[in-house]
Amino acid sequence: MQRLINILLIFKEYFVLALLIMLSTVLLSLNDNAQMRAVRSYTVGFIGLAQDYLVTVPNVFELNRENAVLRQLNVNLSDEVSRLRDARLENLRLRGLVGFKEQNPFTLVAADVVGKSYHLLRNTITLNVGLRDSVKIDMPIISESGLVGKIIAAGSRYSIGQLMLNKDFRASAKVQRSRVDGIVSWEGGDVLRMKNVAKMQDVREGDVVTTSEYSNIFPRNIKIGYISKISQGAGTLFKDIEVTPSADLIGLEQVFVIRAVADSERVAMEKNMTRTK
Amino acid sequence: MSRHVKYVFFSIFLLLVQSKMMTLLTLEGITPDLLTIWVVYLALKEGQLIAMPWGFALGLAFDLLTGNFIGLSALTKTVAAFTAGYFYNENKTPLILGSYRFLVIVLTVSLIHNTLYFLIFTQGSEIGTLRAIFQVGLATTFYTATLTLLPMLAFARKYIT
Repeated sequence: MQRLINILLIFKEYFVLALLIMLSTVLLSLNDNAQMRAVRSYTVGFIGLAQDYLVTVPNVFELNRENAVLRQLNVNLSDEVSRLRDARLENLRLRGLVGFKEQNPFTLVAADVVGKSYHLLRNTITLNVGLRDSVKIDMPIISESGLVGKIIAAGSRYSIGQLMLNKDFRASAKVQRSRVDGIVSWEGGDVLRMKNVAKMQDVREGDVVTTSEYSNIFPRNIKIGYISKISQGAGTLFKDIEVTPSADLIGLEQVFVIRAVADSERVAMEKNMTRTK
Repeated sequence: MSRHVKYVFFSIFLLLVQSKMMTLLTLEGITPDLLTIWVVYLALKEGQLIAMPWGFALGLAFDLLTGNFIGLSALTKTVAAFTAGYFYNENKTPLILGSYRFLVIVLTVSLIHNTLYFLIFTQGSEIGTLRAIFQVGLATTFYTATLTLLPMLAFARKYIT
């Protein structure tokens, strides 16, 4: 302290000068005339220039604060990226659905799967469309990958769809390559069975199976799946064919109902013929 | 009467003369600066430490009296007192005041004072700084120095003869 006082005493003239200059500067800064405005603008320019050079000198405390802000920003951006990734996937899926709908010759009703009922033998889904949307019993249900099932009950706003993985499900089918006909049904497990295909008929593993024109319910050429296994059943004339569904029947989220009903005249004639026999 | 009280009275007198009556001595818009002569005198007589507050107070009082750029004369008179204080020598004060040295010191201090004054005063105005310093500042310096002849001769008569 004494040393500081000594220094002050040695340089007292300079300290007084500095003090008086500071006082004068304060008084000058109180003026609002053209001169002071010019001086202020020079000062701002000079300080800006000095800051430009000084900004390269790191400030430890400022860096800590900046790091904290950047960490928070990083978390926010990661969260946003995650949400955008989900949105992109959803967008791709919906684009696929829209494209499928535009390419399909049938009149389709888009529906969300709002309920699933996977029992041992009778698996169904609940759709958020019903009679109000012109959805009726026996209308086929498809996805962008292929056949899903058909409507078995319709309410005003909701309907129940019978999946292909249902023991009551039947569909006339055809092997796309060789035009061999058969009946597709389900007997349990993850695969369908194609029945009534004679052992001599040309069927190979990998062949695509579609709906055939013989069906009263399903329009023809809707993809059902592909043949994943063929075995020659012992003591029978028919092949034992396993068909893997092309549609993901377990992970369904959106489907389309085809607004197609069976031709009543054709149904009536076929029923009449059956009775006559 | 303390010499500082005398200084106060004389300062008030000079302030009034400088602010109200010096127009009588104005030539071509150039006015001599009595206050600078007085500040130089105080610095040579009392030294930097005492002269600087006097310079500041005189300058501020002059700014307030004229209502001009408040603080500008306070700053320049402080710097003038500081500069003049470098020539302070308590053993040779009468010799300095009564000789041409006084004239030279006033000339030097007045030049610094006027340069600083016009350097700030011409900022932001259409008057060129260098033109103001060389035309008005130098003329004021020489006019002030010329006027210094009167006290210098008075001091020469008082101290030397």
